[in-house]
Amino acid sequence: MFPSKKATTMNSSSHERPPSVCVQGDSGLVLTTDPKPRLRWTVELHDRFVDAVTQLGGPDKATPKTIMRVMGVKGLTLYHLKSHLQKFRLGKQPHKDPNDHNSFRNSTVDLHRNAASSSMMGRNMNENMHMMQMEVQRRLHEQLEVQKLLQMRIEAHGKYMQSILDRACKALAAESMVNSGGSFKGPAMATDSQLGAPIKELSSSMSFPSLQDLHLYGSGDQLDHHNLDHSFNFSPNSSAESIILGKSKRHSPCINVNVNGRSPLLGWGGALGPSSVDQEPSSKCDQLLHMALPVIEAGIEVNPMANVYETKPMLSLDGTLTAADEKKYDGSSSSALKHDRPSPQRRAPLGMEMISPMMAMPQARNLSYG
Amino acid sequence: MEVAMEEANDFSRCTFSTTATMDDYFACALNNWEQSVADVGPFSSSADADDFHDLVESIMFADDVDYDPSIGHFSLPQSPSYNSNTSTCTPVAEEDEHTGTATAYNDAKGLRLVHLLEAAAEALGGVHKCPDLARVILIRLRELLGRGDEGTSIERLAGHFTDALQGLLDGGRMSLHDGARHHHYNKMEVLTAFQLLQDMSPITKFGHFTANQAILEATAGDRRIHVVDFEIAEGVQWASLIQALASRPGMSPPHLRITAMIRSGGSRSTQETGRRLAAFAASLGQPFSFSQCRIDANSERFRAAGVKVVQGEALVMNCALHPTTAAARRRTIGSVASFLSGSVDLGARVVTLVEEEDGEGEETEEEQGKGFVGRFMAELGRYSAVWDSLEAEFPTQGQARAVVERVILRPRIAGAIGHAYRAEEEEGGQVESWGEWMVAMGFGRVSISCFNHCQAKLLLGLFKGGYKVEETAMNKLVLGWKTRRLLSASVWKPPLPVHLPVMDSFEDSDFLFD
Repeated sequence: MFPSKKATTMNSSSHERPPSVCVQGDSGLVLTTDPKPRLRWTVELHDRFVDAVTQLGGPDKATPKTIMRVMGVKGLTLYHLKSHLQKFRLGKQPHKDPNDHNSFRNSTVDLHRNAASSSMMGRNMNENMHMMQMEVQRRLHEQLEVQKLLQMRIEAHGKYMQSILDRACKALAAESMVNSGGSFKGPAMATDSQLGAPIKELSSSMSFPSLQDLHLYGSGDQLDHHNLDHSFNFSPNSSAESIILGKSKRHSPCINVNVNGRSPLLGWGGALGPSSVDQEPSSKCDQLLHMALPVIEAGIEVNPMANVYETKPMLSLDGTLTAADEKKYDGSSSSALKHDRPSPQRRAPLGMEMISPMMAMPQARNLSYG
Repeated sequence: MEVAMEEANDFSRCTFSTTATMDDYFACALNNWEQSVADVGPFSSSADADDFHDLVESIMFADDVDYDPSIGHFSLPQSPSYNSNTSTCTPVAEEDEHTGTATAYNDAKGLRLVHLLEAAAEALGGVHKCPDLARVILIRLRELLGRGDEGTSIERLAGHFTDALQGLLDGGRMSLHDGARHHHYNKMEVLTAFQLLQDMSPITKFGHFTANQAILEATAGDRRIHVVDFEIAEGVQWASLIQALASRPGMSPPHLRITAMIRSGGSRSTQETGRRLAAFAASLGQPFSFSQCRIDANSERFRAAGVKVVQGEALVMNCALHPTTAAARRRTIGSVASFLSGSVDLGARVVTLVEEEDGEGEETEEEQGKGFVGRFMAELGRYSAVWDSLEAEFPTQGQARAVVERVILRPRIAGAIGHAYRAEEEEGGQVESWGEWMVAMGFGRVSISCFNHCQAKLLLGLFKGGYKVEETAMNKLVLGWKTRRLLSASVWKPPLPVHLPVMDSFEDSDFLFD
């Protein structure tokens, strides 16, 4: 808000619109009635100026003295003409033909005499610099474009993947409900808190020897075959394991992973960087993983896998940022280091740059992905 | 050969505060092996088979890895063929004695595993087939490796390859299950692991996005776009295309039609994919329709006539040969070739091709060679690069990686090895690179735009270092990990119809040019 305000005040001062009336003097010139009278270049006056300049052979050839003589307007001083001529020349600059460039250069000598105009040589260099700058800017702009589009595409990709998982999960839930008489309705509605505790339990239990035994038991070749040959079913085997692991909830095949509209497994390829192990794992992805992994393996893998996704990328599809996310964003905004591995808020620099435009327009994305 | 030597030297000069990557000692192992093979002599005569046998024995039963405190590193027992190379290949423990010794031990072990694997492959499918020897080697490997998901990265990798070889041994030839033990993972597991892989590695997205961008550019002004997809799978590629079309600035989205190929028995899942895509498109407000086209069950040929074509639509064909589990079996040469040639009949505007790339550049061709062992080592190299890339990106998520490795990569390994074995058997060879095939068939190249290249670079920029994209030809981008090429995406323009013969009555072998 502030900058725009400033602009308006600046505008008003530069436009010089005094409340006072403009007086037309005898000579036909319009002067303002300010304490400091300034000449107003009306359209008529300007036309006459242009005529005179053209008569004299263009803005390069014309000098304020000669223009004054040709125009023959009383009250017009050299000073007025000098400044107006300079502006005129500058104004004509971008529209100049490449052909005219030579004539432009030839008149350098003449124009050196004119103290008001800046050096033509300098202007040429400035032009080149300007063009280079424009080229660089154009490239940057292009890259930003690509970045933006890439980001949207990655999101679409992730969202679609999520929808696949959701559908499969629902299909599985339907199946299992049929199989086991709908006893999984409870767990199916599990919220974060319900699973949060068992997850912690699991992570702390990783060092228990019983789990290791289980793992060995589970990954024996024969057993692998048997257990995995069927589709995900809730055999007595799995319940035995879950008791050992103390997590009966893990049977729930389909937990609504989009409670907050966040997709646990969505996001940047790289932004799902290794976050620090000590942070709270997101239970959303744990739910998903619980669904997906056979019970035997899940015992070992669930928590570490959760870590992969635990610092949810800011760019969840509905654009909602929780307080936790925002905090992480702020904390990491300064470190755009890709290689800052130990940092818990690791983000790829690209991800960082992209976050700002996305943060700015969460609503728009809500609409498109609604 | 020289390059491999250099790599071996570099290997010894590297600091080993972190475990050497598998690529390093893989290359070193290969070099070592070559050297030792050279010492033993060419394999052509049967007399050398004994030497080979001895060599293998020495590797296998070299249990005692001696730790020499004065040198500070482990050394493999000195067998005649190993003398000169052991020192270059055995890593020297650095400043920290503890980590140094551990990594040194791991590296030595890794080296041995690679050697054993190569020996097993050689015994199984090399010049002198010796199944019993292979069996023994595999047993030995199993002993060394312990169980499934434990162990270091290379142990897991070696384990999967061991199992693949074991499957070949057990399953006999022409096995329907790609010669490997077929773990039927449930769909949820597969999907989750797949999503994990997508997030952990840019490989799949690279292929999808590059192809999609090429399609977008080729159909920039059109109001109707028709995509014919060779293998739609879950339709993941099209999500971003739909999004891109729906949100083009300044114009209303063109109508997108996707035709998917279905093979016998695959109809239901493809329909499901179509429904999903339609729902997704609807959510974005993108006009969309989906249809299917059956690949002829008997001849496994694509028939251009089977695709419904509408006037005024821009037709593009997409042939994404990502490595997937059952893919090797499904994608017979004939089906792919007929699909690609069908682009001519259909008057496709562009054909986008995504396929696996091999090797590390020119020199690998000579080193690895064709034949089962060559292919085996190439696959070992490729997957060790994939392993490395996952480990480098996500070093702390060991278990997550293990799951991805087990659920997604392991079946792929088994499939690839099985495919290589069968191809060797059939003596028909295989098409190594469909891109080259297309050149030979007269397809023109469509240059990759600056935007596309930039997009690929930015995608890789989301990951840590190590991934590279290079534009190896005007129409082809190749994604690689360090020096190893993994996947390529290329864009082609079908030649005019007059140049290609009718594809109907041809055999698979007719599509090969050797």
